[in-house]
Amino acid sequence: MKKVLVIDDEAIVRTSCERALTPEGYEVKAVSSGKEGVELLQKESFALVLLDLKMPDMDGIEVLNKINETWPDTKVVMITGYSTVETAVQALRLGAYNFIEKPFTPDTLLAAVTEVFEKTNQGGAEDRDIKRDSGNP
Amino acid sequence: MRNLFNFRNPEKSIATKLIIAIGLLISIVSLIFWYAILQKQKMDVMSIAVKYGGSFVNFTKESIHHSLLTSQRDETQRVLETLATPEGVRRVRIYDHKGKILFCSHKKSVGQIIDKATVACKGCHVDPGKSSELLQNPQRWSVYRENSGPTLLKIVGPIPNEPDCYTASCHVHSREQGILGFVEADVSLALLDEAVFKQGLALTAYVIVFVFAVSAFLGIIIYKIVSRPVSELVDGMAQVAGGNLDASVSIKSGDEMGVLAQTFNSMIRDLKAARDQREKWTQTLEAEVAKKTEEIQRTHANLMQTEKLASLGRMAAGVAHEINNPLTGVVTFAHLLKKRFPSDSTEAEDLNVIIEQAERCSKIIKNLLTFARATPSEKGKVSINDVLSRTIFMVQNQEKFHHIKFNINLEDYQFIILGDPSQFQQIFLNMFINAADAMNGRGNIFVSTRKTTESGKPYVEIEFTDEGCGIKEEDMPKLFEPFFTTKPVGKGTGLGLSVSHGIVKHLGGHIKVKSVVGKGTTFFVRLPLAEEAR
Repeated sequence: MKKVLVIDDEAIVRTSCERALTPEGYEVKAVSSGKEGVELLQKESFALVLLDLKMPDMDGIEVLNKINETWPDTKVVMITGYSTVETAVQALRLGAYNFIEKPFTPDTLLAAVTEVFEKTNQGGAEDRDIKRDSGNP
Repeated sequence: MRNLFNFRNPEKSIATKLIIAIGLLISIVSLIFWYAILQKQKMDVMSIAVKYGGSFVNFTKESIHHSLLTSQRDETQRVLETLATPEGVRRVRIYDHKGKILFCSHKKSVGQIIDKATVACKGCHVDPGKSSELLQNPQRWSVYRENSGPTLLKIVGPIPNEPDCYTASCHVHSREQGILGFVEADVSLALLDEAVFKQGLALTAYVIVFVFAVSAFLGIIIYKIVSRPVSELVDGMAQVAGGNLDASVSIKSGDEMGVLAQTFNSMIRDLKAARDQREKWTQTLEAEVAKKTEEIQRTHANLMQTEKLASLGRMAAGVAHEINNPLTGVVTFAHLLKKRFPSDSTEAEDLNVIIEQAERCSKIIKNLLTFARATPSEKGKVSINDVLSRTIFMVQNQEKFHHIKFNINLEDYQFIILGDPSQFQQIFLNMFINAADAMNGRGNIFVSTRKTTESGKPYVEIEFTDEGCGIKEEDMPKLFEPFFTTKPVGKGTGLGLSVSHGIVKHLGGHIKVKSVVGKGTTFFVRLPLAEEAR
């Protein structure tokens, strides 16, 4: 199972990610703050975290640093508004895998997510099966 | 005209004063002459009267000479009575050296002693009755008046001793006696009095007429040369005091009054010139103050506007960022929904419209964010063509540009410049807004880019041409001054070109302007290309 964690303070963004990825065979869990995300990561492992840059309690960069330190195998894709593109670039330097701009389409999101799983060889055969499935919707 | 002769208040009128003074002088002089002439006449008349009186006395002496020698007393008395008449000779009498009346035309007074205080004795003696001393210049006549009667001349003539007298047979007089007696006549001067009185009246009438004539003549002269000019001057001054500086005094005489009037007129002219000058200064000053006040107000309004724009920009950035989240929802769910319908169905087409419009929203927001400068900016590589296209896209969605056609001709080259994209966008946006304002929102805007070199270095030249009203020659030097604007207050800040110029200069470029009033304006923005991009 390809597990994806969405951390975004906006409910509609979380829902959008869930609705776009679940039919494609991803197991999506979503939380509304960086703190909750870190707590959940401590309980179970995720292959990918979709992380919003701007959040009220814990900044996206902070959460990214924490994930890089604690769970180096977990990839992070930043979700950003246009005004924070420069910050997103900074995030890439800090070790984020990629970033997508809001507002994104389901295809953009899926492409970014698929890329992560394809290129990093995550999850072995099980992952590959999924990939085959997703390639034939 | 004012009162020329103010007789009620003589101290208020020069003419009246002069006339009174001169009239008084003439009256006094005339009075002295009048009196002197009258006295002279009286004296002349009197001397004639005395002469005739003396003749009469001599005549009387001759008349009685014989009767006295022959001692015919009755005859002597009769002669005297005959000589006396009521109108002419009032009384004639003879008395001896002791004062005893021997004969008289009034027979009753014969034998009486005459009063020694009268001219009978005082005519010759210094002190009659006390000594026989004689006067050096005897005056043997006097004038007197009895009650209210006419003036009378009393004249005395001595009867000297003669050989016939002291040799006569009667032996009344001795040889030693000097004077035997006196003839005294009282002559009435009534006719002379009347003549003198009539002459006096005539003289008085003449003097009065003279005084009045001279006074009237002087009055006219004074009126002509003093009162009227003075009155005109007073009128002129009153008009000037009332604010009428066009007044003038028309006295053409060459005397002091004329000089005074000319001086007055030239003074008024100077005054008027000074007043006009002062009014001009005042107007200039007022205009200057109004201009400065307007400038201050405009600056203030501009600052307010700048402040407003800045906060509006911050707010817009915040709002735009927030809108991205719901927009993500719209786009995602539209896509999800679209997947449930066949791709050629009406529903799929409708959903495509939703997706397109949501993406358009997203683009607008991106441009707005760039403009709002809330974007944390870092100097980076900026593609001029990209920023230009994005800016044009953004303004095309603005109401202001709905009736403006953009003619875009960008050279196919990656013009890379190191800078902040939002700053370039600001410059371009400003050019478009100025162009739209100059064309009143209708017409063509031509935008082109081309590669060029300056001093051997590569530059990009961005040309913005409008079909607007153009820029006046006199406004050209002020074009890049902060707060200089030709737009109505509240519409333009006067900061656009100034800020653009600042940014361009900072990047090592420059802005050139070509303009024809009524035809349009072209701005050439030249920027040096980044070294890496060469």
